[in-house]
Formats: sequence, structure tokens, C-alpha cells
Amino acid sequence: MKRLWIAVAILVLLLAGSLVNGYYVQSLTERMTERLEQAQDLAHQDQWDRAEQITQQTYEDWENHHFYLHTTLRHSDTDRISTGFRSVLQLLDQEEDAQYAAANADLVAQLELLAEMEQASLVNVL
Amino acid sequence: MGSSQGYFFPPQAKLLESALDILGDEITCGPLVTSRFLSLSHSKKEVPAMFTGLIRTIILYIVIIAGIRLMGKRQVGELEPSELVLSLIIADLASVPMQDYGIPLLTGLIPILVLLSITMILSVLTVKSVKFRAVLCGKPSIVIRDGLVDQREMARNRLTVDELLEELRVKGYTDPAMVKYAILETSGQLSVLPYANQKPPTARQLKVSVEEGGLPLVVVSDGRLLEHNLKALGRDRNWLDKQLAQRDCPSVEQVFLLLVDQSDGIYLARKDMSI
Repeated sequence: MKRLWIAVAILVLLLAGSLVNGYYVQSLTERMTERLEQAQDLAHQDQWDRAEQITQQTYEDWENHHFYLHTTLRHSDTDRISTGFRSVLQLLDQEEDAQYAAANADLVAQLELLAEMEQASLVNVL
Repeated sequence: MGSSQGYFFPPQAKLLESALDILGDEITCGPLVTSRFLSLSHSKKEVPAMFTGLIRTIILYIVIIAGIRLMGKRQVGELEPSELVLSLIIADLASVPMQDYGIPLLTGLIPILVLLSITMILSVLTVKSVKFRAVLCGKPSIVIRDGLVDQREMARNRLTVDELLEELRVKGYTDPAMVKYAILETSGQLSVLPYANQKPPTARQLKVSVEEGGLPLVVVSDGRLLEHNLKALGRDRNWLDKQLAQRDCPSVEQVFLLLVDQSDGIYLARKDMSI
């Protein structure tokens, strides 16, 4: 009977872990997308320095979670987002309005997709 | 998965994707192009996420067990259906993160842990419940009863006449009429119980006295003395040396195998020193 409860406990623990992971990735990416959208609004108002500062902080926040993200998500996905951040920062530096808007929207979409992948939904299971 | 939501794939984008595939990821192009390319590649999600992986593993495990149960006992071989499924899936799951370093180790570990936990739960339930055991492992089928082949049971277990005759021959019976019962076990093996008059007589039936030798233990293996086995037999090194001397064997090093049973029956194989 002890073995049964150990096995059930492992399953419950894994289930809880996966749900917590989904929630964590969702809240992390939501926070980041909000800040990236805020940076985009500032860039439209010609506040390029402020937009770059916010994007840079978001990038640093992303990099600070590198270990966790690397151990739970596919490396190519996290690497793509890291590269996306660098592209956006470069375009902010060059103050390329149209290209920055497209790259930033792309980065936001990638972050949203990353969170979507981790959600406990029937669509994902199927 | 909703990974391709919000993306538009014009023919040019597909063309660009193929071109970049050929040139490699390290191509130097503008940040926008790189970013677009990355977003295109992003739609190819290959590895399920944590929760998805967990649920999918459970679903696939149940489906494969059901499939193997439907295949009948003959296809199972020596393993129980759940053991077969476990060995089939775990080998494959373990190899994925081993070969692809771009996949987190957890992607392989979580499904393996899930499978081991489910198997543990199922094994406890099969011990506790007879009904559950019958559902999961099936019941033994009597395919020959009183020398008569039960065709319905054979069909139910996808057992052909050739396979039945082959199994009988392996057990030393050429004619089903010699068999009282042949039972197809849940492991897929055939147990054959012959008529009483077809069974070889035992020493007891012949009223012959036979000495019980007990379990033989290995005392010397390839020139090495296994002292714990010698102790278990209640003997010491002097006794062993004496036994070797009686058999013209000067030392333990020259013994390939020495077995001793509890009634001091000895089997000695000398080592071929030319090898």
C-alpha cells in the first residue's frame, strides 16, 4: 500500500508542478508583454530612450529567468525569444519605427505562444 | 496546439524559410528578417509542454495497454501487457533527450516518472483486486480440454493451429489427444498438463528411495574461492584443500568450477590452463 501512495504522490506532485509551471510562465510572459507594449507606446511618442530602457529591463528580467526557462522549455524556443529581444533593442537603438513595431509585435506574440504552450488546456493535450 | 495562431504564411515567407534552412541559422541578415524567420520557425512546436506531456503520456499508456490486450495473449510473449508497454515506451522516451540536447531533460524525465508511477499503481491494484487483474492482464484460457481443442478460445486469443502444435511439440507432445489440459497463460506461454498415463513416473510412484542433495553452491568460480558459500555450507579451507587433494587438484587456482551441495556431493571442473 505504501508503494501505491508513493506513486500517487509522485503523480499528484507532477500534476501540481505542471500547473504551477503553467501559471508561472503565464504570469512571467504577461508581465513582459505588458512592458513591451508600454515600450512600443513610448516609441510612438518619440520617447525612444525610455522605450529602450524598459525593453532592456524586460530583457534582463528574461535573462534572469534563464535557468528556469532553460530547464522547463525547449531551448530553441527560449533562444528565439532571446534573439528577438536583441533584434528589438537594436531597432530601438536605430529608432526604426516601422521595423521596431513589427519586431516588437513578433516578440510579444512569441512570448504569448510560449505561455499558451504551457497552459493546462484540452487543445494543448489534443 | 495553438502555436501557429496569429501568424500569416504567404508563399514568399515559405520561400524565405526554405532559403534560410539551406543557408543555416547563422546567415547575416537584417534584424527584421531574422525576427520574421524566427517567428516562422516558432510555429513548429515538436515537444509538448509539462502539463500536456503528463496528460498525453497517461492517455497513450492507457491506449497502448488496451491495444496490446486486444491483440491477444500470443503477441504478448513473456511479459504482462503493462510491462511490455512500459519497456516499449521508456526506451523511446529516454532516447529523445539523450540525443537532442535542445530538449530539456525534464521533457524525458516527466513522462518516465508518470509511467513508472502508473505502473506502480496498477501493480498494487492488480495484487489487491482480482477483477482489476482480470481486466488488465486477462484470464488464462483453456485451449485443450480432455484432448479436445477449443476452437472458440483459440480464435479469441488469435492462436493458430500451427502455433498450438508448435508449442505442444516444444513441451514434448506431438498429439493433442495426449493432453488433458493446455492453458494459454496471461503471459502468452502455454502450460501443458498431460493425462496421468502420459506423465513420467516419479521416484515416489516407483517407490524408489532417492537422496535429497539440496541446493548446490558455487565454492570456486574460475580459480576464485567464494568463502561466503564455503561458510554457508559449514565447511572451511582445510576441508576444501583435502577434497581438492583427493581429486588430484593441487590448488584453488586450477579449478574452473566447484559446486558443493548440502550432502557434500561435489562437482569439479578443472581449469584449462592453456586458455
